[in-house]
Amino acid sequence: MTNLIKQIIDDLLKPFLADFKEMPLWIKWGAVVMTSIAFMILAFVFRARSEGVYNDKPRIHFIQNMDNQPKFVSQEANAMFNDGRGMRPKVEGTVARNEMTGDTHFFMGIVDEAWATTFPDQITVDRPLLDRGQGRFNIFCSPCHGAGGFGDGVIHHRAQRLVETGVNGTTWVAPKNLHEDMIAAQPVGQIFNTITNGIRTMAAHGSQIPVADRWAIVAYIEALQLSQNADASTVPNADSLPRVDEGSNK
Amino acid sequence: MTESRFTFPQWTNLALPAAIVIGMTAPLYMAIVVAYGFSPQATDVGYMPEQPIPFSHQMHAGELGLDCRYCHNTVEYTQHAAIPPTETCMNCHAQIHPQSDKIQPLFESYETGMPIEWVRVHDLPQYSYFNHSAHVTRGVSCVSCHGRVDTMEVVYQHEPLSMGWCLECHRDPDPHIRNPDLVTQLEWGLDMSAAERLENSALWRTHNDLQPSEDCSTCHR
Ligand code: HEC
Ligand code: HEC
Ligand code: HEC
Ligand code: HEC
Ligand code: HEC
Ligand code: HEC
Repeated sequence: MTNLIKQIIDDLLKPFLADFKEMPLWIKWGAVVMTSIAFMILAFVFRARSEGVYNDKPRIHFIQNMDNQPKFVSQEANAMFNDGRGMRPKVEGTVARNEMTGDTHFFMGIVDEAWATTFPDQITVDRPLLDRGQGRFNIFCSPCHGAGGFGDGVIHHRAQRLVETGVNGTTWVAPKNLHEDMIAAQPVGQIFNTITNGIRTMAAHGSQIPVADRWAIVAYIEALQLSQNADASTVPNADSLPRVDEGSNK
Repeated sequence: MTESRFTFPQWTNLALPAAIVIGMTAPLYMAIVVAYGFSPQATDVGYMPEQPIPFSHQMHAGELGLDCRYCHNTVEYTQHAAIPPTETCMNCHAQIHPQSDKIQPLFESYETGMPIEWVRVHDLPQYSYFNHSAHVTRGVSCVSCHGRVDTMEVVYQHEPLSMGWCLECHRDPDPHIRNPDLVTQLEWGLDMSAAERLENSALWRTHNDLQPSEDCSTCHR
């Protein structure tokens, strides 16, 4: 056994080492450098693939194919125009085909020069519309007015804190409580107009919300207001429902 | 005669074994580098460009709880998820932090009408067709494709967005489907077990009859 090992060393390893000693230094160094570079590339690849490593350099695309074509996609920049927009804003004073058809009831909430008191023909007030309105209200209105419409949304609370600490000149007008008598008495057309064009310090939300959805929100606000003034007589079959003790609710 | 004859030095005996070793490792090495290094996981994921305004989703969508659709309001109707115009920011910032240095570019943009030049993060090649509304209204949440944006200070690309990645889900969408009303609640489902999650998505998948297509013409049109 020992003989065999000795023989292997004598016959293979020794000549190998002898050869290796003779090898010029630059080749040895070259091999070392090449190997390190190979491992550095692997380390670089590993780093690029690992979680939590971010890079703000433009992405590398080795094969470009037709990744970028000579056309403009939504919201892309276009240096040809002064304002740099690829998507052109409407020419002032024009109205897009689907935006205004002279139907002031549907589009503006106005009937005969006064706020509409009814919903337009295009809108059927039913359960799906109210559900839609609830969803849209929670997205667009609840940040300020709160999910219940009491004017106590997250933004309101945050802004009040900022006003107290006086940071960066924050000012804040409290969002209205939508259950106030003054607002509960408003015709639907007026609330529609408030959403579309804003009012005083509340900004216009018309560009964010399609017309039909604005009406859905109005319907939901009516329902919210109703919910605050409900009593047993407005609930069908109220007598057959289980009751909680008087005063424990509300 | 022998003087001028060139003899290979003795160390060149090593050339053959070296060639064998290199010849065997080099192709493997190249394959590893190309497969792992050229894949979108390495070149695209984690791309986090610097934006002109240090806008924080962690603050707005996470802490303040704004719904994604308050700003990206077209995501349910159109192919493109609109980056909000300056007016949307001004709904709040006309009053909140108006004198902050970070907000000044907003006011400038609002007054001059020049757009804010946000840097695009997610970018598919233009020969492929993607549609947000087809996914969002059928119960695929933003989190499946963009990660937990509501915890990101700065948005970065979380998924490879390669064709293989699209197909993986189109072949087996089950772990990703939920109630379409909950698509913008990114933390939804995290507290459910995998089995509960699958049960829920199976329900919505049959309810909405989802059959994601693998035909080339779905995405290359
Ligand atoms: C950015 C915060 C904010 C959002 C979002 C917001 N509002 Fe308001 N809203 C306000 C403020 C502030 C006022 C009070 C304005 C004032 O009195 O100067 C107000 C007032 C109102 C009023 C009372 C108008 C009146 O006649 O006095 C109504 C109605 C209203 N909002 C409805 C809505 C609806 C519906 C939405 C959702 C589409 C909405 N708001 C979204 C901040 C907001
Ligand atoms: C207050 C407005 C606002 C809200 C709310 C918001 N975003 Fe954004 N989002 C932006 C703006 C502005 C940008 C562009 C700047 C940037 O990339 O940070 C953006 C960029 C993005 C991008 C990167 C787009 C690209 O360039 O590829 C994604 C993805 C995104 N948002 C997803 C979401 C998701 C998901 C939510 C909901 C959890 C959300 N956003 C909520 C305003 C908003
Ligand atoms: C619904 C209201 C709302 C909208 C819309 C909104 N923000 Fe904000 N934003 C806030 C509030 C509230 C804060 C303050 C949080 C704090 O400081 O506590 C804030 C903070 C900021 C800050 C940090 C300011 C500072 O000095 O610390 C920046 C920057 C900012 N927002 C940018 C934007 C941009 C850009 C948009 C439009 C894409 C936008 N915001 C839309 C409510 C909003
Ligand atoms: C099925 C995957 C998927 C889902 C779900 C998804 N996105 Fe995207 N999103 C993408 C891809 C892919 C792109 C790149 C599109 C391109 O380059 O054309 C993108 C791009 C964006 C952009 C940049 C603008 C654009 O359209 O190119 C925003 C903003 C965005 N997504 C927001 C959202 C929000 C908010 C949601 C959830 C309501 C969402 N996305 C859901 C895959 C998805
Ligand atoms: C997380 C899951 C998921 C991912 C990732 C995903 N998809 Fe989808 N995709 C779906 C589902 C679910 C549908 C809806 C199928 C249906 O309506 O039957 C769909 C539908 C589509 C449609 C519409 C097909 C039609 O019938 O109109 C297109 C186009 C599409 N996907 C392209 C893409 C592309 C491109 C990508 C990659 C960037 C992608 N999808 C990534 C789940 C996904
Ligand atoms: C679910 C959507 C989807 C379907 C279905 C699909 N592709 Fe793709 N394909 C993509 C996307 C997204 C990319 C771009 C990937 C990237 O970022 O490199 C792509 C890229 C490609 C490329 C270019 C690859 C490159 O890097 O040069 C080819 C070729 C291709 N697809 C062929 C096909 C063929 C053939 C089919 C039908 C068998 C098919 N695709 C079906 C989404 C799809």
